[in-house]
Amino acid sequence: MNKIVIMIGLLLLAVSAFGQQQYPRDMKFPQIEFNPATPQEFTTDNGIKVFFLEDHKLPVVTLNAYFKGGDIYDPQDKVGLASLTASLMRNGGAGKLNPDQVDFDLEFLAANINCNSGERDYNIGLRTLRKDLDKTTGILADIILKPAFDTAKVTLEKSVTQDQIRRQNDDPGQVTRRVFYQTIYGDHPYGWYATLASIDNITRADIIDCHKKYFVPDNCIMAISGDMTLNDVKVLLKKYFGDWKKAELTLSAKAMAETSYKPGVYYAQKDINQANIRFGHLLMTDENPDQYAFEIMNFALGGGGFSSRMMSQVRTTAGLAYSVGSYPVYRQLMGLHFSYCVTKAESLSKTLQMMFDVINEVRNNGITAEEMELAKESTINGYIFGFDTPSKLANAYARNELRGFPKDKIKTDLEKYQAVTLEKCNQVAKFYLNTDDIVIVITGNKGLFDKPLDTFGPVTDVSMEIQ
Amino acid sequence: MSKSVVVLGILMMLLASSLGAQEAQFDVKQFTLDNGMNFLVVERPTAPVFSGFIIVGVGSANERTGNIGSAHLLEHMMFKGSKLVGTTDWDAEQDLWAKEDSVWARIDMARRQTRYVALNNPEKLDAHLKFIESLETILDSLAEASSQYVIQNEFDRIYTRNGAAQFNATTGYDFTNYFVSLPSNRLELWFLMESDRLKHPAMREFFPERDVVAEERRQSVENSSDLKLFEQLIGTAFISHPYQIFWEWRSEETNLTRDDLMTFFNTYYIPQNMAVAVVGDVKLDDVRKFAEKYFGDIPRGKDFEPIYTEEIEQTGERRVDLHYESSPAVNISYHGTAFDSPDEPVFQVIQRLIGDGRTSRLYKSLVLDKQLCVDVSVDVFPGNEMGDLYPGVMNIYAYPRDEVTTIDVEAAIYEELHKLATVPVDSLELTKIKNNIDAAMIWSAYDNLGLASYLASTQALTKDWKYLYKLRDKLKAVTPEDIMRVASQYLADEKRTVATLIPLENGGDNE
Repeated sequence: MNKIVIMIGLLLLAVSAFGQQQYPRDMKFPQIEFNPATPQEFTTDNGIKVFFLEDHKLPVVTLNAYFKGGDIYDPQDKVGLASLTASLMRNGGAGKLNPDQVDFDLEFLAANINCNSGERDYNIGLRTLRKDLDKTTGILADIILKPAFDTAKVTLEKSVTQDQIRRQNDDPGQVTRRVFYQTIYGDHPYGWYATLASIDNITRADIIDCHKKYFVPDNCIMAISGDMTLNDVKVLLKKYFGDWKKAELTLSAKAMAETSYKPGVYYAQKDINQANIRFGHLLMTDENPDQYAFEIMNFALGGGGFSSRMMSQVRTTAGLAYSVGSYPVYRQLMGLHFSYCVTKAESLSKTLQMMFDVINEVRNNGITAEEMELAKESTINGYIFGFDTPSKLANAYARNELRGFPKDKIKTDLEKYQAVTLEKCNQVAKFYLNTDDIVIVITGNKGLFDKPLDTFGPVTDVSMEIQ
Repeated sequence: MSKSVVVLGILMMLLASSLGAQEAQFDVKQFTLDNGMNFLVVERPTAPVFSGFIIVGVGSANERTGNIGSAHLLEHMMFKGSKLVGTTDWDAEQDLWAKEDSVWARIDMARRQTRYVALNNPEKLDAHLKFIESLETILDSLAEASSQYVIQNEFDRIYTRNGAAQFNATTGYDFTNYFVSLPSNRLELWFLMESDRLKHPAMREFFPERDVVAEERRQSVENSSDLKLFEQLIGTAFISHPYQIFWEWRSEETNLTRDDLMTFFNTYYIPQNMAVAVVGDVKLDDVRKFAEKYFGDIPRGKDFEPIYTEEIEQTGERRVDLHYESSPAVNISYHGTAFDSPDEPVFQVIQRLIGDGRTSRLYKSLVLDKQLCVDVSVDVFPGNEMGDLYPGVMNIYAYPRDEVTTIDVEAAIYEELHKLATVPVDSLELTKIKNNIDAAMIWSAYDNLGLASYLASTQALTKDWKYLYKLRDKLKAVTPEDIMRVASQYLADEKRTVATLIPLENGGDNE
């Protein structure tokens, strides 16, 4: 009797397991074909390079104008110049419009213009309804071609920037990030931050010169997408940017960043009940072909969220943190690898040691084939989300052009991820990962830590004085 | 993204040509399962991807002392997998969890006794604490035993392997959201994964996860000057309504049990209390077929009571200070309305008028003209786009310039609010607001997840997604007189709560 019951039970189990019940882990799907539209491309008579994607789904248009230049070209005694130039282009009046009129005309039409300086470029972006495109593009052109840099607004923007600097120690995460970059890049421009003094040094004449130098048509790359035709784009650009005069721009070469820091612990004192941790070392440039394998390896190490070892061990198993991970940053003049975590002050050393152990384990013994497959499948299957709106796609082409990368980069990148092997992953892990000669930044209150900070190397107290 | 991009795609937005106005229209298909679960579908084959958004009509406002933190911790536990995902032996796990829970109950009881042992038999305190430690060791070893059946983070891994983006969840005060974007041929995977965790939530790795949410609170609230101040503000602005708890307290959440969460789950995670939106390269027929197959067998639940507690009337200005190692800031709150109040659209227009953009009343006055603030902004708490289920608060956040006092900042804010109550808004300014209302609705359809969230949230709040058209019409009908009336009634001096951050010098242990 018992046996029969068991046998029937087994039979039922078999039916449910193999006949009906499907498990998500077993479901296999073909890879989605990655076949994004290619933007139309042309160059205006005065040299603006344009990438355009036609898209009539919504009655809207986005336009991003990129210019080489940006923070990296700030003089050391005037750090913040590029950033102030960009924000004052937006906020300092343009053409016939005073600053208040620029604000009102844009906001009345529910349009948005953002002017930002990045590490090595400026980005001037417009989001507008199609019906107002002519008017809003006119304002955009005035901002790019004829910014007024109203004297009172220059004074205001400078003093507000200084007040923001005075607030730079309020957020522990921001403190940790700043100290990490300052320490790891040292005297290289990548490590420079604006100070009260550097903002003081910047004059209206500096801003005018900065604008004049970089905002020229042959230094301009535009990504345009939305509810218009190629002919509409050409007519519009001719109308508003047609008279913009070419001008030669020579960008000074910048030196590569090199390791110059003293390895050890950099401690930023703040009276909080957690330790905010960030550590790492220099890595590679954005042209280094090792980045594909490194990216896949790092996914398993700490970049893949819950699918990474760091998250599994520090968060899921040990419950020591809400935020933990590791990421590579690829930069033109030398990138870096960092790991970060926020844990209660009493578990600082336990957590830090756990993170070191994870890194050393991967460096010494590599990741597994299964981990690599997961990382690759995630990267390849999710690749489309980097390009799933016309705006993302047009901007990807523009940014690659800006950086001088090949036009088919978005396709070849995918192929390079597909070609990554386990051997290569483990080779880059061994070559690049390091927990010895690193900068460890810790923000918190050392009176609460579970072990003295010098457990992890010589300790340098970081000045929190606002300069 | 196929070539259909270049061709005229699905024309989602119909242009209303009359008077040059441009209003959004959404092509939404809708069906409801027999168990009451509601589905909204937008077929949009632009790129071969879709976003799935599930909203459950429950949040932290449904908690009471004793189970505070349940909504948030339960949302975390939903990532631990289900019966089909994350385990090699579901039954063995259940047995071990029951054992863990009984040990936890003993630890909890022993901890409660500690204060009496310390008071009445101090000589036995050491032994008592050792006893608790030994129980904790047993709990750890049970957790270790459970872990042998766990396929850690498999729920995440399966989505990740399949190329998921934007995979996350958020816990609010009245609603909890679960969402992800996937390649479009993974539609059935999404249905299977989501339905299984909504049928069989796994209380896997429970105790470490309780520590994780405690760490999240430390990081997000206790060590963030903005949210630490905001917690004081909200706790002071509300006396009786459960919105008073901005973030669950650590003392409560570290004592939650699996039973607390399952009770919460069984009460609120019922099909008639869920709305789903699927937007992207999907077909209505497929969504309907999978919805029936995967969600159709969940039985309709027992309807639960709404929150009857109303906020008691505010009888005068309330003030609270936070002394903290950070720069000065001031937050000001005014009680508002619920989504179905006739005054709600007026309130939303007022919020935009004073807080939306560089031309808004407060930014223009405090940052640009008087130069009293580095920044000023306005929002609504809890802050659902369509309005909140129960009356919330409108908040003003101001960050004074160096050497400007919060007193001067407050005075400048009140001057603007008094103006709102006494001087009619001119028509150009009102037209600006209405143009932005139309534009925001158009942009809300720009990406799949944004549209899915917008539709599902509206459906969950109002029980009819088309309410978003009605609200738009109401917003556009707001008059200058409405604004004066609502401003004088709600934004009066005696109706406000003020929280001020008073800086402490760097006060840590720096030898």
